[in-house]
Order: sequence, then C-alpha cells, then structure tokens
Amino acid sequence: MEVVHHSSAFLLPSVAPDHRPSLNYALIVLNQRLPRFTPLLWQHAQLRLCADGGANRVFDEMPGLFPHEDAVAVRNRYKPDVIKGDMDSVRTDVVDFYIKLGTKVVDASHDQDTTDLHKCVSFICDFTPDLEKSKLCILVAGALGGRFDHEVGNINVLCRFKDTRIILISDDCLIHLLPKAQNHEIHVLSSVVGPHCGLIPIGMPSRSTTTTGLQWDLSDTEMKFGGLVSTSNIAKGETVTVHSDSDLLWTISIKKSQDSSP
Amino acid sequence: MDSVRTDVVDFYIKLGTKVVDASHDQDTTDLHKCVSFICDFTPDLEKSKLCILVAGALGGRFDHEVGNINVLCRFKDTRIILISDDCLIHLLPKAQNHEIHVLSSVVGPHCGLIPIGMPSRSTTTTGLQWDLSDTEMKFGGLVSTSNIAKGETVTVHSDSDLLWTISIKKSQDSSP
Repeated sequence: MEVVHHSSAFLLPSVAPDHRPSLNYALIVLNQRLPRFTPLLWQHAQLRLCADGGANRVFDEMPGLFPHEDAVAVRNRYKPDVIKGDMDSVRTDVVDFYIKLGTKVVDASHDQDTTDLHKCVSFICDFTPDLEKSKLCILVAGALGGRFDHEVGNINVLCRFKDTRIILISDDCLIHLLPKAQNHEIHVLSSVVGPHCGLIPIGMPSRSTTTTGLQWDLSDTEMKFGGLVSTSNIAKGETVTVHSDSDLLWTISIKKSQDSSP
Repeated sequence: MDSVRTDVVDFYIKLGTKVVDASHDQDTTDLHKCVSFICDFTPDLEKSKLCILVAGALGGRFDHEVGNINVLCRFKDTRIILISDDCLIHLLPKAQNHEIHVLSSVVGPHCGLIPIGMPSRSTTTTGLQWDLSDTEMKFGGLVSTSNIAKGETVTVHSDSDLLWTISIKKSQDSSP
C-alpha cells in the first residue's frame, strides 16, 4: 500500500529541496490573533486568502511582527490575493485598502450554510487545476482559540474535504486529518514541532489503530470518546507512522522558539 | 506536579491547602484526577446536586482540549462545565430531554451542538435560529456550529451524546 507522507516543512525558514513531499501551499488567514510565524507561512504560499475578518488581522497585526519597519510598507508587502466570506466582520477601511492594492474581494454572504473557511477552501480547490490537486496543501492560520463552535466548524472542514491536505495552525499546535485505511508517515521536524502530540478519533470510534514512533504507541488499539483517546503523547523520533480503520486527527505542538520572520 | 512551582506549593501549604501528588498515575490527565477526587469526596446523596466548573479548559494545545472534553465523556453522569473567556461547553447525554436556560445577560447568542464520539442519527431542538428536526449530524456532514440561541430556553433531544457550547458575553464584570 502506498505511503502518505506528512511534513511540517512549511515552518522551516526555507523549503529544503530534499524534504518530501514537494507541495504547493495556499494560506488562509482566519479572524484570530495571527500566529507569530504567519510571515513564514505567507512566504511559502503561492496563494493567500483572508477569510472575512482575517483581513483585519493581517492589516492590524502584521506590522507588529515587524516592529522595526514602517507599518505601511509591511501592509503593502503582505497583501492578500483574495478576501472571501460573508463580509460581516471585515472593516470597510481594510477592504478599501486592499482593493486599492489589487486584492480580489468575493462577497459570499448569500450562502449561510457554510463557514467562511469552507468558502475559502472551496475557492482554492476550484482555482486549482485537477493535475495540481495532489500537490496542494492549504495552511489555515488562526484556526484555534476563541469560540469552541468556530474551532469545531474548522475541524469539520477537514472532514468535509478529506481528499485535500488542509492543516489548521495556531501559535501552539497544528492539526490535520489522517484519512482511514492509509499508511501515514509523519516526518517530525524536531527543530520546529513536537514532542507533544495526539491522535483523535473524530466523528466515530476507531476499532483499530497501530502506530510507531510514539512514547505510547498503539497496537491494534481501540480509541473512542468516553474511553481511550491518545492525548499528551510524545513523538520520540523523526518519524511517526499511523494506520487506522477510522479517520483520525493528528495534532502536534509547535515549538516556542520560532522566529517570526522568514 | 510537574508544572506547579515549588514556591507556589509552599505558599499554599502554609495556608492549609492539601497537596495530593498523583504523579504515579500516567494514564489519566490532571483534570481527570481532580474530577475523580471531587466525586470520591462527594457523598452519594449529594452527587445529583454536584456541578464541577473547570476554568481554563480551552486554548493552548489542542490535545489538552480534547483530553478535557474526553473527561466530560468519561464522567457522563456528572455535571461538568468547561469554561474559557469566550465560551462554555458541557455534555448533553443522549436520550434525555434537555432544557437549557439561556441567561442572555451573561451568555449567548452564539452556540452549537456537536456529535462527539459518534454520528447522531436524530436530534431535535427548539429555541435556535436553525433548529434541528429529527436531523442527522456527523463530522464530514452537518455539525451545528455558529447557531444562535433565540430566546430564553433551548430544548435538545438526541439519540446520541452531544456537546453543547455557548458563547460568554464580553461585558462581564470580573468581580462578584
């Protein structure tokens, strides 16, 4: 069976050519405080979207990540390609500023059935030619914290777009889906992530999960809410492997000593 | 006891605080240990009136959050409420008629219902902007987030355990 590789190379200052897989990154910024390494994510991304109020965050907070630079210069440099959502959070002055710079604004307020993140992920997927889809990796900054129902809505987007690599990122950790019945190989770049990690049976109990590379490995182990859920685990080495009969969320901590600038 | 500072422990011991070192037990989280302690401490007759409030349950590492939520699922017969600056979360055990009194001076209106642990074949609600009516919920499909509590009372009945979450209003005084 084919191995699915996962790596957090997007947290490295530059993408080393030998780091598999070679991916095309897109960035979505949500309406939470910007993670301190957002400029790094921005640098790696070929397409940058703000989901509604995420544009306020880029406008307000990006200059603060470059305290020795002129705020206007920083704002001009970190211009989103698209602002999309139901537009009930983004400020008018922010929209006007970015429109003048050439940002495309897509008002999707007519659609009340999907979250702003869902709308942005759909936009990116529609924008990406089929041939490129296997190399696409969507990074979502500001995905955690704040209201719990927002967090859950963001996690549900991972479950709705199971065939798309989407990584939810906060200052403290990252989360992505490990679809069931695949051999997953997670490359733990210990200079930027770990060691605290977890595997979570999202959506339904998992009859059988087997791992290697964890302090408390699972061996054909059942996991479910109300019973065992693998939290506060430790990634011991450079590689963690996971195989499960059920979709799992993988989460790993992000190290604090990150430089914000690429 | 791998996080609490020695000077902090010493200060509280002098004031009479009891310190219980449970580091031998690596299989349960600190929250689980505390909930167990409270339940053991509470006479059976009082258990139905017990409600455990957990401050600082959200934010930070996601696996910690999930561990805290799993404590709600492990202690289904105990009222436990996870609380952060922004919202609260508690379990609505399946097959019961739940009536949630929404004190609009302090909570709401943003709320959600989450099928935790397994898909929910049927949930019915009243009092929400987008009520459910024998509706299926599951991850990968419909999960009720960004809902709105319209009035003073929300009712929920489901075939499955659900998490209820509601926002906490910002204009809270911090002092009683």
